[in-house]
Amino acid sequence: MLRKSVTESFGAAISSLNAAHLTDGVIRRSKRMMLDTLGVGLLGTRTPVFNVAFQHSKRFQAQESSSVWGRPGSFLPPYYAAFVNGVAVHSMDFDDTWHPATHPSGAMLPALLALIETLPSKTSGLELLLAFNVGLEVQGRLMRFSKEAHNIPKRFHPPTVVGVMGSAAATAKLLGLSPAQSVAALAIACSSAGAPMANAATQTKPLHLGNAGRWGLEASQLALLGLQGNKQILDLESGFRIFYQDYIPHHLAEVSPTASYRWVLEDQDIAFKRFPAHLGMHWVADAAVKVRAKILANEPNADLNQIKRITLRVPSSRYIDCPLPATEHQARHSFQFNCCSALLDGEVTVDSFSSKLMDRKALKELLLKVYLENPQDNQASFDKMYCEIKVEMNHGETYTARCNTFYGHWRNPLSQEHLVRKFKDNASTVLNTEAVNGIVQIIDSLETIDDCSVLGSYMQFHKHIHREEVCYSASA
Amino acid sequence: MLSKVQRSFRPWSTLSVVRGLHKSALDVVPRPTSEETVTSSFGRFIQSVQPRHLSPKVLQRSKRMVLDSIGVGLLGSTTEVFDLALQHCKHMYALDDISFVYGRSGTKLSPVLAAFVNGVAAHSMDFDDTWHPATHPSGAVLPALLAICDMLPSNSKPSGLDLLMAFNVGIEIQGRLMRFSNEAHNIPKRFHPPSVVGTMGSAAASARLLSLDRSQCSHALAIAASLAGAPMANAATQSKPLHIGNASRLGLEAALLASRGLEASPLVLDAVPGVAGFSAFYEDYAPRPLGYPEEEEHSFLLDEQDMAFKRFPAHLGMHWVADAAAVIHKTLVGFSMGSISPSMVQDILLRVPQSKYINRPFPESEHQARHSFQFNACTALLDGEVTVQSFQPEALLRPELHALLSRVRVEHPKDNPANFDRMYGEVEVTLVNGDVLRGRCDTFYGHWRNPLSNESLCKKFRNNAGAVLIPEKVDALVEAVDGLEYLTNLKPLLAQLQ
Repeated sequence: MLRKSVTESFGAAISSLNAAHLTDGVIRRSKRMMLDTLGVGLLGTRTPVFNVAFQHSKRFQAQESSSVWGRPGSFLPPYYAAFVNGVAVHSMDFDDTWHPATHPSGAMLPALLALIETLPSKTSGLELLLAFNVGLEVQGRLMRFSKEAHNIPKRFHPPTVVGVMGSAAATAKLLGLSPAQSVAALAIACSSAGAPMANAATQTKPLHLGNAGRWGLEASQLALLGLQGNKQILDLESGFRIFYQDYIPHHLAEVSPTASYRWVLEDQDIAFKRFPAHLGMHWVADAAVKVRAKILANEPNADLNQIKRITLRVPSSRYIDCPLPATEHQARHSFQFNCCSALLDGEVTVDSFSSKLMDRKALKELLLKVYLENPQDNQASFDKMYCEIKVEMNHGETYTARCNTFYGHWRNPLSQEHLVRKFKDNASTVLNTEAVNGIVQIIDSLETIDDCSVLGSYMQFHKHIHREEVCYSASA
Repeated sequence: MLSKVQRSFRPWSTLSVVRGLHKSALDVVPRPTSEETVTSSFGRFIQSVQPRHLSPKVLQRSKRMVLDSIGVGLLGSTTEVFDLALQHCKHMYALDDISFVYGRSGTKLSPVLAAFVNGVAAHSMDFDDTWHPATHPSGAVLPALLAICDMLPSNSKPSGLDLLMAFNVGIEIQGRLMRFSNEAHNIPKRFHPPSVVGTMGSAAASARLLSLDRSQCSHALAIAASLAGAPMANAATQSKPLHIGNASRLGLEAALLASRGLEASPLVLDAVPGVAGFSAFYEDYAPRPLGYPEEEEHSFLLDEQDMAFKRFPAHLGMHWVADAAAVIHKTLVGFSMGSISPSMVQDILLRVPQSKYINRPFPESEHQARHSFQFNACTALLDGEVTVQSFQPEALLRPELHALLSRVRVEHPKDNPANFDRMYGEVEVTLVNGDVLRGRCDTFYGHWRNPLSNESLCKKFRNNAGAVLIPEKVDALVEAVDGLEYLTNLKPLLAQLQ
């Protein structure tokens, strides 16, 4: 008897997992992810890159259409709604991060919500939760096939590799594809996977999430029409494996309708960001805030001009080492910038990346004093890295601080109160109070909701009826 | 270059010097002209190269490519995968009165989706052109360009020369990029080349036809890099044609996004240690900047390296074994006075290069059959040739064919590299009476070393296009492409395809 291929086991699992398999823990965690994603997405609709994506997509019309977040009365074909809303989610690098490293939710939620708006029958909150978690599970399992995936990436941007597969799996689940069709969706999606890291820290990076969402959705739709790809796409050397240097695929466990299922999310929680920058910046910011407190405790009238030198001990990673960032995108990927912002202001916030605050003389002068060191024991892995900061003052005094686990990391998760507050702060830049509270309530009781298409409507309850929305940041 | 800048500052990482200081350094240091990045040199080339740089040979060769590409696209509109792709696009998007669809008179799609389905058509039967290093360059570029032409207003359609210029830019960029890597010179194993360089070529060509400035051209390439790359595992499946369809549509999209101001990595083509750009798709990668067309004479790669056109719709490697087997067929016909019976044959040995995805003893679908040394050799043994009809379901199921297939062995001689410029195909048939017949093909007819005559190319086009268009339109297309560089606007060409 021939053993099923790994690919087949994925197809079978996608098709057979059902709502009864969702545990309380997984439901709770994934609802937090959804709320956070909606909030950062709404904030992101005020960025220039979202605007470009939106203008581009408006040339396409459709018989079916789905809501564009933050744009009352604007609808796009679901494929393009998934695209622009996905761009919004990642536009400020404010969305969730997992281990192994990827941004799992932004690749899936926009596509799922866009799809839901076009389905003939109502979709319940439980069905949405199931599809979301199926996609998440596929992403988590795929990343565990490779050691390379466990470190901060260098070659392919992970959301473009596993994110599109997750989107395909999630939308396949929602569409009720058979095991064979689910396999086809994965295979077709694989031909749309893979974008290079060089576009991280540029304005194009958000498109990686937008594209993952739309192409995963498209893969499922093509599979539904009967298109097929390689049925061994996860097994073959010439398949999904091409994105990794090392790769050992494993079968997903047989899914039994009666027995329980162990989800990756159960064992591995997710990190939510407190400010919109690459995850690595959060260690630096927390360490900098600590050392600032030490300085001020010792010398309450300390003038940060008196800093002679700042040493940052961080893991080695080229694309987040940027001594003098010129754009907001670069600033979000700069150890040095986030360190200096936190030192000056005691925190890093959404506003820290505005051109006004980026152009501050004091900040620019401080940046010139930063040196990076890459200690051997500081691994380029979000599960293992740390940040140590040493500040030397002109008069000789030295202060150090260290951050092993920033607040918001999976080892030290954001409290529910802080998560909801982050959502409300983000969402209320765009939506009216009724919508903001409405969304919080819906997500909170999502598993009891009959018809979750109301989410799409809420995402358009703009607080102003403006023609032209002022875009958030001036620099591109 | 970078070291000069570095010496005057503290030693930061190379990347941060360029990224962090690029804009501020511009204020201080006069912009070094001979020291630009590879990426910006490509952007500059796309925008500034002129029609006068197209030599007569390049014009002639690229027109042959345009003709062949349209023909295979028209024929491809009769395939199931094309139908599926079209249904997908029509179902998703309301009819947009803009860009034509091969073989569906009156049907229009938005430009990006038209590029998609027409690209799928071009590669649906693996009948489109192949270059060296290996890729299918035209199917990725032409659909996007023609879609743009339909998009532009009626009173400002591009001229034939504009189209040829943009087309050649798209081909040239593909050729230049492939020369950055030794890996690219061999039959691919990891990424399907059209999904890598084809997307870039489409972006470059579209950027040129849309008249983007040089910075936008660079960004179009960089955006396209984030849309490139599909695995070989989907070759020989029904999804393979989508690779070309997507290359065309995504390259066009990248150019459209760049035209709206979207920016991406300014170093995407350069080799930056620790952060992969376009280099992500290759194991070895050594980029070089493009020269200045304004200052030097630019020589297009198409001038030195011609194109292969296929005589039948199958992977290029099949053409060697088919030609080798056809020689043996002639002899066998002589022996058996007309028809060949598999019972005459004891053993068939194929000596071919080693390449997993085209070594299939018993193909189960037309897609697999187009990627099977064994199938194409046996078909040519039986019929004396391989044709479009050889891949029809009835032909695939012939018992005589199966009988021959079960007698095939495959060897991979060391001197037969998996490289379209150097491989050969040898067929050795042992008959039951003990006779051994050998056929060898080093260069099949249609290969760049032995190009199809204009007559043969035209005949292929007429057969293909005639499957779908009335004779008057077929003739008009041949005429339009023949005088393409003299057309002041493209309406005579576009009209036949609407």
